Amino acid sequence: MSHFTPTIVLLKEGTDSSQGKGHLLSNIDACVEIVNTLKTTLGPRGMDKLITNDRGKSTVTNDGATVMRLLDVVHPAVQTLVDIAMSQDSEVGDGTTSVVVFAGEILEQSRSFIKENVHPQTLIKAFRKACFKCRERIKEIAVKSNVEDEKQWNSMLKKCASTAMNSKLIAGHKDAFSDMVVQAVRSLDPEFPEVDLIGIKKVGGGAMEESFLVNGVAFKKTFSYAGFEQQPKKFTTPKIALLNIELELKNEKENAEIRIKDPKEYQKIVEAEWELIYEKLEKIVESGANIVLSRLPIGDLATQYFADRDIFCAGRVEESDMKRLSVITGKQIQSTTNGFTSEMVGECELMEEKQIGSERYNIFTGFEKQGSSTIILRGGAEQFLAESERSLHDAIMVVHRAMLNSNVVAGGGAIEMELSRYLHEYAKTIYGKEQMLISAFAKALEIIPRQISQNAGFDSVDIMNKLRKGHFEKPKENIWMGVDIENEGVCNTMKSFVWEPSLMKLNMISAATDAACLVLSVDETVKSPSLQDNNKISMEGRK
Amino acid sequence: MLRYDSSGKPFIIIRDQDQKERLTGSEARKANILAAMTVANLMKTSIGPLGMDKILVDQDGEVTATNDGATILKNMQVENPIAKLLVELSQGQDDEIGDGTTSVVVLAGALLEESLSLLEKGIHPSKISEGYEKACDIAVKHLLKICDKIEFDKENYGSLVKAAKTSLGSKIVNQYTEKIAKISVEAVLAVADLERKDVRFDLIKLEGKTGGTLGDTELIDGIIIPKNFSHPQMPKQIKNAKIAILTCPFEPPKPKTGHKLDIDSVKKYKELLEIEQNYFKEMTDLVKKSGATLVLCQWGFDDEANHLLLQKKLPAVRWVSGTDIELIAIATGARIVPRFSELTEKKLGKAGMVTEKSLGTTDENMIVIEKCSNTKTVTILVKGGNKMVVEEGKRSIHDALCVTRNLIKDNRIVYGGGAAEISCSVAVNKASKEITGIEQYSIRAFSQALLSVPIALASNSGLNSLEAVSEIQLKQIEKESPFLGIDCISMGTNNMKEQYVFDTLRGKIQEFLLATQMAKMILKIDDIIRPTGQY
Repeated sequence: MSHFTPTIVLLKEGTDSSQGKGHLLSNIDACVEIVNTLKTTLGPRGMDKLITNDRGKSTVTNDGATVMRLLDVVHPAVQTLVDIAMSQDSEVGDGTTSVVVFAGEILEQSRSFIKENVHPQTLIKAFRKACFKCRERIKEIAVKSNVEDEKQWNSMLKKCASTAMNSKLIAGHKDAFSDMVVQAVRSLDPEFPEVDLIGIKKVGGGAMEESFLVNGVAFKKTFSYAGFEQQPKKFTTPKIALLNIELELKNEKENAEIRIKDPKEYQKIVEAEWELIYEKLEKIVESGANIVLSRLPIGDLATQYFADRDIFCAGRVEESDMKRLSVITGKQIQSTTNGFTSEMVGECELMEEKQIGSERYNIFTGFEKQGSSTIILRGGAEQFLAESERSLHDAIMVVHRAMLNSNVVAGGGAIEMELSRYLHEYAKTIYGKEQMLISAFAKALEIIPRQISQNAGFDSVDIMNKLRKGHFEKPKENIWMGVDIENEGVCNTMKSFVWEPSLMKLNMISAATDAACLVLSVDETVKSPSLQDNNKISMEGRK
Repeated sequence: MLRYDSSGKPFIIIRDQDQKERLTGSEARKANILAAMTVANLMKTSIGPLGMDKILVDQDGEVTATNDGATILKNMQVENPIAKLLVELSQGQDDEIGDGTTSVVVLAGALLEESLSLLEKGIHPSKISEGYEKACDIAVKHLLKICDKIEFDKENYGSLVKAAKTSLGSKIVNQYTEKIAKISVEAVLAVADLERKDVRFDLIKLEGKTGGTLGDTELIDGIIIPKNFSHPQMPKQIKNAKIAILTCPFEPPKPKTGHKLDIDSVKKYKELLEIEQNYFKEMTDLVKKSGATLVLCQWGFDDEANHLLLQKKLPAVRWVSGTDIELIAIATGARIVPRFSELTEKKLGKAGMVTEKSLGTTDENMIVIEKCSNTKTVTILVKGGNKMVVEEGKRSIHDALCVTRNLIKDNRIVYGGGAAEISCSVAVNKASKEITGIEQYSIRAFSQALLSVPIALASNSGLNSLEAVSEIQLKQIEKESPFLGIDCISMGTNNMKEQYVFDTLRGKIQEFLLATQMAKMILKIDDIIRPTGQY
């Protein structure tokens, strides 16, 4: 009787735990599954995804990070891939698909080693080494653009931007857009470029071709009260007051109550309230401002007051637009009219209200300083505009990054093939298991050109053979040999101007390696039952 | 969408995986194209002067009968994401141009339909897109080549009327096109700034009224507000009115802060009463003193004030809406006054004639403000047998106004009746032969798709559509004249120049660009992930 072994309940009922080699393989399978979903979006011939959520909102996109986010991944191992896509997005802005595809391929390559009982830590060590070597090689071979020469510098940035837009819907107009993007990024303060200061406004209707860049700030007409139409809508060299004040006749204190004993006092109270707002308005007018913008509402009384004095006003202006105006005019947003003087109003050359499509826009241009610009994006449908905005954002980030770090490498799989060749050669010089593992990493790198050609409907085996042969036979001359999308073959992508900032590749390789290593290092997952499942179990238990 | 790993264990990657379905590759593309074609086919029958209307009943049982593409699609409440894209496409055309909202959807549908067979040939969708893009480019350039200019000025606007007539041709108002086209053009010209080529639509007010026929629609050089004078004994007509526009009520003013008035004696109560009455007196006095002969008030006023106003012979209108107040202020040059004490003579607006009119047999009256000091505000009073007709009439007039505005902005035109499309189709087809490579196929497909609009036009007109279109095509090539189109209303000539059927160049270009853009976007999708059981 005493030999009875009691069962030890360690975890809560319903907890799911799995472990060991089988678990690791299962994780790899899950990651590969999601990568398969994503990989068709890679490259200039990559396709888009249409994702509809439970509430019926649909999104059409080609952006890796957006797809990953919208898929709503719950699998814990796959979650790491989502995270690297996000991190690539916030760090570099572009290459979000590549990073996920590459991480998935590393895992795919390591699958056979895991099956053969190679210890995951050995794999991790080798991959880290390979990653380190790749990073070194990229830094070594990256082409530095000549920053001195303004023209060359500009054209380099434009090329980076148009490469980022290659796979997107706006690819057809990439020349015009890359111009816009480069101009927009260059309008920022070179010391502290803040990408947020580039506004992208979407106006439905109109063709892509009608998109344009405003060298300044533009925003949609805000909600206005009667009297607004009587205000002038065009100013040359106006003075702009930026406020964060509610200009409305209202109760000043929420919970206050005034007790009046004498009916004669009544009128005085009424007048006191009017005086409060009139005082504010007078101060603004005295400062010499002829455009009044406020974050908070400007009521009908104030609107009519300003109309009477030929002053333009707009209330409820979005915070981001106010910030842009504040940066570009160099003036603070005021939250009180006390001590409001002419020194606190900004200036610009021209302010005009313009009709764009069915919307009316207030456009401010001709600022003394640089520091902000706005892209007005036109297009037929909402989803189209949303996707274009995402693509522009990617391009802006790439240009922004390239400006900070002027090194570029050739895209179209060229850099990946070169790294792969380099690692293969390196692998031959080392002894032990690592040799095979580093070769596996080198093989994983080939996924990028392979996928690009597959998505374009080419014979990927054929192209890969050509690329490998080229890179191995003449490593020096063919260093930038990549996939030629136009003519189904291979070419020097550096010469065909498929340029990417080297920073993007550096980040891509380390992020993908990190993610793969993380998945490999996991040998057990313990998943607590979700609250919903828990309830179900306890209900069943009661039955 | 259940997945299994290599050892056969299922795993869940995305949330509610079992409730999502996924279509990929050609399956997805086909599903999308079919959805788009369904919408396009639905719209085909309302193209052209003999196009039919659709009745739409919404959730509340409200009935709309219309032939305007954007309106149909907007009220259909489509669920399918691709169909929704087309709705937005048509909306985009409406926002920008205001005309051609049906054709743009039909063209996009045709482009996708053509791409189906190209896809079956194994052509990569992005190759098709590239071809479409190139073809669209060729078509737009061709449009620029064949376009014509129409001339007009403030007095001679016959050509504008003709353009407006084309736009009205397919609408319910087509019996009265001549009259309504003229009204629309006059309205636009009244508010247009010909030098800056700018037209401000908010200065044109469209007011609907049931009763009478569409033919009774009139243009009023001024503003109509659907209100009565506040007291029936007030005069119904005021000449040379001086108008005070007030945004404060005829009531004792109230502080906004919470307040309480303590009345603890009879004396105080009487005092209060006196003060209140004084307020009314003071207010009417202030208005009278300023020299106003008409008061428009955004808010109400009670009977006491009303009585006082009548006594002082001050006609007044209460509860005038904010937008009307603004329009009247612009038209009469008045300033909107928020407090009685600020009322001065300078702030009054002037109008030559203000009349209260009753229309039809209904009790509702209207106040017409005419001969304003600043004439740049007009109202089109649309009349019709029932509400549905009035609403559709308004929409049609809006379209005509848009056409006129577009012509003022850019006076280049292309010929309608499918002439421009056929001509472009011929040009694109010709150009395709000079291009080697796969793109040739997609460019040729584009030229085929362009014919979809004239084909729909011809079949709606009861012609043998394919025969009619091919005949015109032949004639166009033979005579090299890009203004031959479908003779929809049996005028006996195919020459659209003689029939005066034309569209704005801007609208046509926009139509091509938007439809191509949409086709490209839909072709680029190869993966649909959505909750199961929908659509």
